[in-house]
Amino acid sequence: MRALCWEGVGKLAVRDVPEPRVRAAGDIIVKVRASSVCGSDLHLINGYLPAMREGDVMGHEFMGEVVETGPGVQRLRVGDRVVVGSVVACGGCWYCRTEQFSLCDNSNPQPVLTEKLWGHSPAGILGYSHAAGGYAGSHAEYIRVPFGDVGAFPVPDGVPDDAAVFASDAMPTGWMAADFCGLKGGEVVAVWGAGAVGQMAARSAQILGAERVIVIDRLPERLATAAARLGVETIDYARTDVLEALREMTAGRGPDACIEAVGMESHDVGPTYAYDRLKQSARLQSDRPTSVRQAIMACRKGGTVSIVGVYAGLVDKFPLGAAMNKALVLRMGQMHAQRYIPMLLDRLAAGEIDPGYLATHPLPLDQGVRGYELFEKKRDGCLRTVLHPVG
Amino acid sequence: MMSRATRWALAGAGTVGVVGVGRLVARRRRRHQPERQDGWYVVRRGITVDRPRDAVIGFWTDRERLDRALAEWATLERIDGDRWRCVAADPAGGGTAWQAEITVEGPGLLRWTVVDGPVRQEGRVELVDAPQDRGTEIRAELRYRSGPVRRAFGLVGGDEPDLALRDTLRRVKSLVECGQIIDTRRDPSGRSERQERATDKVREKLTTGGRA
Ligand SMILES: NC(=O)c1ccc[n+]([C@@H]2O[C@H](COP(=O)([O-])OP(=O)(O)OC[C@H]3O[C@@H](n4cnc5c(N)ncnc54)[C@H](O)[C@@H]3O)[C@@H](O)[C@H]2O)c1
Ligand SMILES: [Zn+2]
Ligand SMILES: [Zn+2]
Repeated sequence: MRALCWEGVGKLAVRDVPEPRVRAAGDIIVKVRASSVCGSDLHLINGYLPAMREGDVMGHEFMGEVVETGPGVQRLRVGDRVVVGSVVACGGCWYCRTEQFSLCDNSNPQPVLTEKLWGHSPAGILGYSHAAGGYAGSHAEYIRVPFGDVGAFPVPDGVPDDAAVFASDAMPTGWMAADFCGLKGGEVVAVWGAGAVGQMAARSAQILGAERVIVIDRLPERLATAAARLGVETIDYARTDVLEALREMTAGRGPDACIEAVGMESHDVGPTYAYDRLKQSARLQSDRPTSVRQAIMACRKGGTVSIVGVYAGLVDKFPLGAAMNKALVLRMGQMHAQRYIPMLLDRLAAGEIDPGYLATHPLPLDQGVRGYELFEKKRDGCLRTVLHPVG
Repeated sequence: MMSRATRWALAGAGTVGVVGVGRLVARRRRRHQPERQDGWYVVRRGITVDRPRDAVIGFWTDRERLDRALAEWATLERIDGDRWRCVAADPAGGGTAWQAEITVEGPGLLRWTVVDGPVRQEGRVELVDAPQDRGTEIRAELRYRSGPVRRAFGLVGGDEPDLALRDTLRRVKSLVECGQIIDTRRDPSGRSERQERATDKVREKLTTGGRA
């Protein structure tokens, strides 16, 4: 079958690879119908997340049709149109039982690196390097999904593929980011990053009761889309002093909650950015934490900073003093897909969230390399490239 | 109906069996030296399994699961009252066999001694209720000796048995909690046969040891 493979730092190619087989009782094989790019892929492609191997199949945000089920699968049938959470969860450990699926104890068979880096190993993730289990990804005609009953969910009729696909990753991530904020109603929430994750976080914050949502980015098309689609206020950080602007917009208080949906390749203007880039490329720090620093500085006293942008290792100049003395709550994590997907599919079917507009560039799988280029360079207003292996 | 002691002995045999002493011999990695006591290397590891104690014991008495865990390379036979003999082949292949004597010392406590095998080894496993509804702690202690000849060949020493013990506990936990041990080797990839072999080595490194 055809698949989009990682070929080295910054290099991708479409290759012929063997088809997956059912290997365990709980496995299902999904014929991929739509498979999206994600900001996390950029960290993987660019070598900032460790342990990619030449030939690894990329992709973790996808939906498709069940074409085969292992003998232990009960909830799903061949022919079901399903969306699959990016995070692999066993369903049987304490973390799964308490719905902290991205912390599953048993789904990363290669836990040694992350245990060394982080003290413990979180869940495996499909198509997400050998540090996250070495699973083949979804930019392919078929994919094996372990624990199918736990991780795959039938898509309601009437929800198109290119909308349902975001229930796999961008929507649950955005929802969790807003969920972390503990909103009670009437809050001001600021969101760094107007990518798919940031936009879904903004929408989720609105649904969960935020009165005002302010989205921060520098890409004019993305800010315009967010304003038009979601009715949020926006700040262009390349032209505006963000801290000043946020203080101004909240009459001195600062936002009640700050969501960071940018991640380790955060961009900035000014000398600190040059310093961060230099240190990151020399691998003296693994992550560029510009937007996290800003979120902490901006947040009101006693407020919450919710981080869903991905970080891998060490950061420099982390304003711990500000966080400590302002008594901030810091929440963060990889999203618990399985906890949120059923609820999100209901909201999708009801039209409460409509992520379809994120799929700005639907392309055939064979054009995957170009798809990533568009996405990485944010060309042509690209928010998400969605690859279609068939047809 | 099996007695509790019998079920527990089976559990122990399962654990000892999955450890697969023979397998330790093939591992050559040395990072830190384990603690030494009276000429023995001593390692202690524990893991928490999200099931009550009886379920952890009971898991191994399910014939089908036991077979799956022990594959076809271990047998268990009763010597007398509380003593059992476990004969196992090296799961890594190569025809090495070893024999252990398992003694049930109480509910949730057993010891074993390898009476015939490539490495002198003894150990104990204890099951303890974890606090806060967190299931059961499996605590294992492993003592082994390494003769001068074996050391010279780099066959045993360093933290190999420790890594294997951690592997084992992780496998047992996974089997009890979700009935399988995930395997992603040879999943679809664009790798050549040579690249795949190199990647297998990386996978092995990322798999060996781990948790506990
Ligand atoms: N926690 C999770 O489970 C999870 C899941 C999916 C994605 N992610 C992460 O979320 C992040 C965003 O993902 P995405 O797919 O939306 O990525 P994306 O690349 O499409 O969007 C990132 C956006 O951040 C903007 N940005 C860069 N620097 C900024 C700064 N200093 N201030 C404000 N905005 C800035 C960029 O212009 C871009 O629009 C990534 O780090 C990704 O890895 C996390
Ligand atoms: Zn993602
Ligand atoms: Zn789990």
